[in-house]
Amino acid sequence: MVLKIFFPQCCNRADSGLLVGRWVPGFDSVVVLAVIHYPFIPGQVKKYLSEMQSAIQLELTVLGSWSMPKDGQEGMDSFLKDLSTIFPQGRWLQLSRELGKRGFACQVIGRDAAVPPRGQPKEGGDDEKEKVIFIHYDQRKVMLSHLHPAHGQEPAAEGVSELRLVFQTVAQSQPLFFLDKYDDGPIKLTHWQSEGREASILVELIKQASVPMCLVLTWLLSLWTQLRSIRVLNMWPVRFVSSKLSTCVQLSHRTEHLQTISSPRRAQQHADFMRKANIFVSFLVDIALGLLLISWLYRENRIGRLANTLVPVADVSVHTLPPALSKKPVCLCVLYSARDIVLHVAKELQELLQWLMGAPAGLKMNRALDQVLGRFFLYHIHLWISYIHLLSPFIEMILWYVGLSACLGLTFALSVVSDIVALLTFHIYCFYVYGARIYCLKIYGLSSLWRLFRGKKWNVLRQRVDSCSYDLDQLFIGTLLFTILLFLLPTTALYYLVFTLLRLGVVLLQGFIHLMIDIINSFPLFAGGLRLFRPYRLAEGVKFKVLCEEPGMSLHLMMEINPLKLSTAVQQYRIPTYSCYPKDSWAALCKKLFVGDLIYPWTPLHKGSKED
Amino acid sequence: MSEEKFTDINGKPISLECRSHSSFCREFVVSAPKVSLRAVMVCTCAVWLSAYAAFFVTKNTAVLSSAIVTTLVGMMVHIHLIKIDHERLLIVGSLGVQVSSCFASGRESATFIEMSSIKDIVINEAIHMQRVIYYLCILLKEPSDPNGVSGVVPLFQSSKPRLNCLVKIYKSCQEILGQC
Amino acid sequence: MGQRKRPGARGSLTSATPGRIALPARKSAKHNVCMVSDFFYPNMGGVESHIYQLSQCLIEKGHKVIVVTHAYGNRKGIRYLSSGLKVYYLPLQVMYNQSTVTTCFHSLPLLRCIFVRERITVVHAHSSFSAMAHDSLFHAKAMGLNTVFTDHSLFGFADVSSVLTNKLLTISLCDTNHIICVSYTSKENTVLRAALDPEIVSVIPNAVDPGDFTPDPSKRDDGKITIVVVSRLVYRKGIDLLGGIIPELCLKYPDLHFLIGGEGPKRIVLEEVREKYQLHDRVRLLGALEHKDVRNVLVQGHIFLNTSLTEAFCMAIVEGASCGLQVVSTRVGGIPEVLPEDLITLCEPTVGSLCEGLELVIGRQRAGTAPPPAAVHSRVRTLYTWRNVAERTEKVYDRVATAAVLPLDQRLRRLRARCGPVAGSIFALMAVLDFLFLLLLRWLVPDSLIDVAVDATGPNGLWTQTWKG
Repeated sequence: MVLKIFFPQCCNRADSGLLVGRWVPGFDSVVVLAVIHYPFIPGQVKKYLSEMQSAIQLELTVLGSWSMPKDGQEGMDSFLKDLSTIFPQGRWLQLSRELGKRGFACQVIGRDAAVPPRGQPKEGGDDEKEKVIFIHYDQRKVMLSHLHPAHGQEPAAEGVSELRLVFQTVAQSQPLFFLDKYDDGPIKLTHWQSEGREASILVELIKQASVPMCLVLTWLLSLWTQLRSIRVLNMWPVRFVSSKLSTCVQLSHRTEHLQTISSPRRAQQHADFMRKANIFVSFLVDIALGLLLISWLYRENRIGRLANTLVPVADVSVHTLPPALSKKPVCLCVLYSARDIVLHVAKELQELLQWLMGAPAGLKMNRALDQVLGRFFLYHIHLWISYIHLLSPFIEMILWYVGLSACLGLTFALSVVSDIVALLTFHIYCFYVYGARIYCLKIYGLSSLWRLFRGKKWNVLRQRVDSCSYDLDQLFIGTLLFTILLFLLPTTALYYLVFTLLRLGVVLLQGFIHLMIDIINSFPLFAGGLRLFRPYRLAEGVKFKVLCEEPGMSLHLMMEINPLKLSTAVQQYRIPTYSCYPKDSWAALCKKLFVGDLIYPWTPLHKGSKED
Repeated sequence: MSEEKFTDINGKPISLECRSHSSFCREFVVSAPKVSLRAVMVCTCAVWLSAYAAFFVTKNTAVLSSAIVTTLVGMMVHIHLIKIDHERLLIVGSLGVQVSSCFASGRESATFIEMSSIKDIVINEAIHMQRVIYYLCILLKEPSDPNGVSGVVPLFQSSKPRLNCLVKIYKSCQEILGQC
Repeated sequence: MGQRKRPGARGSLTSATPGRIALPARKSAKHNVCMVSDFFYPNMGGVESHIYQLSQCLIEKGHKVIVVTHAYGNRKGIRYLSSGLKVYYLPLQVMYNQSTVTTCFHSLPLLRCIFVRERITVVHAHSSFSAMAHDSLFHAKAMGLNTVFTDHSLFGFADVSSVLTNKLLTISLCDTNHIICVSYTSKENTVLRAALDPEIVSVIPNAVDPGDFTPDPSKRDDGKITIVVVSRLVYRKGIDLLGGIIPELCLKYPDLHFLIGGEGPKRIVLEEVREKYQLHDRVRLLGALEHKDVRNVLVQGHIFLNTSLTEAFCMAIVEGASCGLQVVSTRVGGIPEVLPEDLITLCEPTVGSLCEGLELVIGRQRAGTAPPPAAVHSRVRTLYTWRNVAERTEKVYDRVATAAVLPLDQRLRRLRARCGPVAGSIFALMAVLDFLFLLLLRWLVPDSLIDVAVDATGPNGLWTQTWKG
C-alpha cells in the first residue's frame, strides 16, 4: 500500500515541531492540519488536543514530528525518535526537510518495530518499506469549498470517498485555525490564518439587524397567510380562478420564498444556505428591476411617445377617445390606447368572420352551416364589444392601480400583463373552445362511424376494437350520418383552424411572458456569482499536479480545486418553481390540435388537483 | 521518460510521451499535431477571398469588416474550445486517475476519479463515425453492487490513438492497478 | 400450388445437390465467417435461432464467426455472446418489420470496416426479407469476398409485391457463390424465383436442439385432450383457420382443450372466438412465450397443431414431435418433407380438412393407438441436429472458398445477361457506383489504417485458447 500524506502548503516553511492531524478512517492516508512548534510541554499539548477534539468532534492526534533544519541545529535525530515514546501512536511519521532540497524525506516507524528502519525510505524501494505520496493542499480553499457529488449523484449513493473525508476533516477543524500566530499561549501552531477582518464591523451590524428584521417579516407573513386562509377565499370559484391567474400564483410563490428567507433557523446544510442566498438575491434583483420599470413608466416624455405610437394602431375607434387626451396623466393614455387596441382587435375579428362567411380563399363551403356559425360568432363579438364599452370607465382605474404592482417586482408586473392579456382575449378563447368542441365532436363521430363502416365497434369495457355484425338499418343510418358529417367537416375544420391559430398566438405570447417570469424566479444568481468570483467555493472535484521529481525523494503532488462548471452550477442550484408552461412534447401538442382537445398555457388540471 | 511516434485512426502522426514519476505514478501525454500554418492560411484566404467577391458584388464595406471579425472569432473559438493540443492521463497508484485535456489556447479541463470508484481500465470497441474503433476507457464501479459497472469514461477522445498505442498505455496502467 | 412437393422431382434434385457431393479429402481450412442478417437476438424467431445455433456449432469446429445485425433499441455497438460469438449491432435505421432501410450504399463504410478488421473470408447472409443481408452480399462482392446466402422463406409468383421481390432476389443472387435452402420445396421455389442454376443451390434443413425438447407425459392431463398451438399470431400462420376450427371441435368434443402460445395482431380473432362461444375455460391464450418456456407448454398437450399458410421448413412441428406430441399440420410448402409420414397428419389448409384430420388424431388418442411419446422422441431426436447442419454448412464453405469471385466486368456482364436489359443495366450501374464508392473509401481510410480486431473465436481466438490452456 501507499501512504498518502495530505500536507498543508502553509506549513512548508514552518519551524520544527510536532505534526497534528487525523488518520482518515478506512484509507491509508493522513491529513496534517497544523504544526506545533518547539518548545512545548507534552502534557499541555495533550490537554489542548483533547479540548480541540471535543470542540470539533473529530479525532485529532499527534501524527509525528517535523524537522526543518536550520543552521546550528544538529543532532535532532535521536530526539525526534524519543518523541514517539511520549506520544504513543500506531505509526509515527518523521518528516524532515533538508537544506538544499525542495522535497521532504519521510520515515514511517511502526510502533511494534523494535528497530526502526534506517535511511531514506525511497532508497531501498523494496516491498517491506512503505511508499509515501505527499499531497500538498491549500488549507483555506479546501476548508471553504464544498465538494459536489460527481455526475449529479446524490451523496448517499456515492459511498465513502477518500477525498470527501479529507475535505470534511479540514472543514470541520475550522476552530483549530482560530488560534492566531501572535497569540500568547502555551503552545505555538502553524496553520492557515485569516488576514484579519476589516469589513467585519459592517457584517456584524447586518447580522445583528437581520434577526429582528426576520422576526418582523415572519409576523407580517403570518398575518398575510391568515388573511389568505379565510374561508371565503377558499371557496371553490375563488380558488379555481386564483389558481388560473398568474398573479395569484406568483404571489403565493413569493410568499413561500419570503417564508424560507425569514425563517429564524440557521441554515445547517450547504444546500439550504445556497437556497436561501439564491432566493434572497433573486428577490432583490427582481424588486430592483420592478422599480426600474416603474421609474421608466412614470417618466413623462417617454411614455407620451409610446402613447403616440400606439394611438394610430387603434384608429378604428379614435372617435371614442376623450378630447382632453393631452391633459390626462400620460399613463392613462397608454391604458386608453390599450382599450382601443382591444376594440380594434374585435373589429378585425368581425372582418375576419365576414370573410369566412363568404368564400374564404376561394374555398366553397357549406353555405347554411357557414352562415349559422358566422352569425353565432358575430353575435358573440357584438356582446364582447358592448361589454368592453360598458366596462371602459372602470377599466382605467383598475388598471392604473394594478400597474403599481410593479414595485413588488418585475415578475409581478409581468404576471399582471399576462393576466390582462388573458382577460382581454377572452373572446378569442371562447371562439376557440366552441370551434374545438364542434370539431372534436365531428372527429369523434366520424371515427366511430368509420368503425361501423368496417363492421367493428369500440369495446368500452375491454378498451379495444371488436368486430360486430350490424343489421341493415343501423348500417344505413350510420352511412347516412357518416356522409353528412364528412361533407360538413371542411367548414368546421376551417373555423377551427382559424380560431386555433389565433388562440395559439395568444398562448405563445403568454408562454413567452411566463418563460421570462420563470427565468427571473429560478435563476440562481448567488451561485453564479460565487462561481465567477470565488471559483474554489463550489468544487466539482480536484486535480493534481506533479510538483517535483528529485531522484530519491518521495512523490509530491499539488492538489488544486476543480471548480464546478458554470452550467452545472446553474442547473444544480436552480430555484424550483411552479412551471406555468405546458410540458407537452411537440408531437403530443400536434395530436391534441388534430383531435380537437383544448390546449392551455398552464399545466393540465390533474396536476393542480394532485397538489391540492 | 520516453517519447514514441504513433498514428491516430486517421493516419495523422501523434506522439505518446510516458513519464514515470515513481514506481506507482505514471503520466501519459498524447499530443496531436499542432495547428498547421497552411491550414490557417487556407481558411483565412478562403474567407477573405469570398468576402472580396461579395464586396465586388455588393459594394458594401461591412462585408469586409465582418469577414475579418469572423476570421478572428473563428480562430479564437477554434483554439479555445475545439482544438485539443494534448491529452494527459495521470495515474497514481491507490489514489486515482486524472484525465485532462489541454486546448491549444492553454485552457485545461481536468477530472479526477478516485481509485475507490474505479473498477478497471480496459480497451473497448465502439462504432464511431461509420467506423469501428478501439478505445481505452475507465469502468466506474457501481457503489451498491461491487460487480456492476455504473459508467464508462472514455480516454483520449480527441486524439483517438490506434490499437498499438492503446495496448502500450493499457499494459502500463494495468501494472500500476495490479500493484494496489 | 406450385410449391407442393412432387415425389419425382425430389429424387432428381437430391442427386444434383452439391452439398452431398464428396469433396476432396484434404483437411478443410478454417474460415472467417461473417453472418449478416437483420434478424438476430433479442428478436425471436426461426432465423434468429438458426444463426445463433449454426454459429455456435461452427465456433466449436474451430472457425471464426461473427454476426452483424442492426441495433435493437438500446442494444447497439459490439457485444459478445456465449463462447465468444461477437455480434455487431450497427446503428442503421429500421424501416418495417425489423428490416432496415436500404439505399445500397450507406451501409458500405461500416460493413467494409468490419470485413477488413475481422479479416472475413466468407460472408453468409440470411433471409430474403432482410435488406441488410442483400446489402452485405452486394458490398462483399464488390470487395471480392466469397458469398453464401441462406433462404428461409417461400414466396408466391403471382402478385405485384412477389414479382418485385423476386426481381430483387434474382439480382442479388445471380452472382452469389452459393445458396442454401432449408427444404427441397424451398430450393425449388428459390431456383424458380431467382432463375438460378440448381448446381449452386444446396439443401440444409434447420434443426432443433433435441435435448431442449424432451417428452414428459406426467405433465399432461389424460382426463382431457389438449391441443397445443405455438406460433406467432399473424396471418401467415393461419390464425383465421384456427379461429374457425376452435368452435367446431369444441362443440363436438366436450373434453377438448386448446393451449395457444404466442402473440401478434391476430390475437383479437382468437379472443373474440373465445368470448363468442364462452370457451374461456377451454381455450387458454398464454401470450408471448420465451424460448425456454416453449417446452413446458408443449409437454402439457397431446396434439400439436400447425395451421401455417406458407412455410419453408417448419421448426415448430419438429419441436412438437420431439416432445412426443401427435402433429397435425397443413400440407403447404416444405412441411411434408420435414417429418416421416407416420408421425404427422397432413391436411389441406381449410377448416373442414383440418377438422377431419384433428378428429382422426383425437380418435387415435382416445383409442390409445397413438405411439408413445418416448418412441416418437427417440425417432425425431436423430433427424435434425445442429452439428449435422454445421458439418454440411462447413462443406459449402469449403467449396465456396475454392471458387473464384467474379471480377467486376464479369459481374456486370452477368447482371445484364441474367436480369433483363432494364433492371440489369440499372443494377450494373449501381454495382459500378458501389465499386467507385469503395475506391473512395479505400483512398480516405486505407485498409492499413484499420486496426485488425483481436479474435475471440477461430484458430487464433483468445477465448478458445484460454479454454485449452
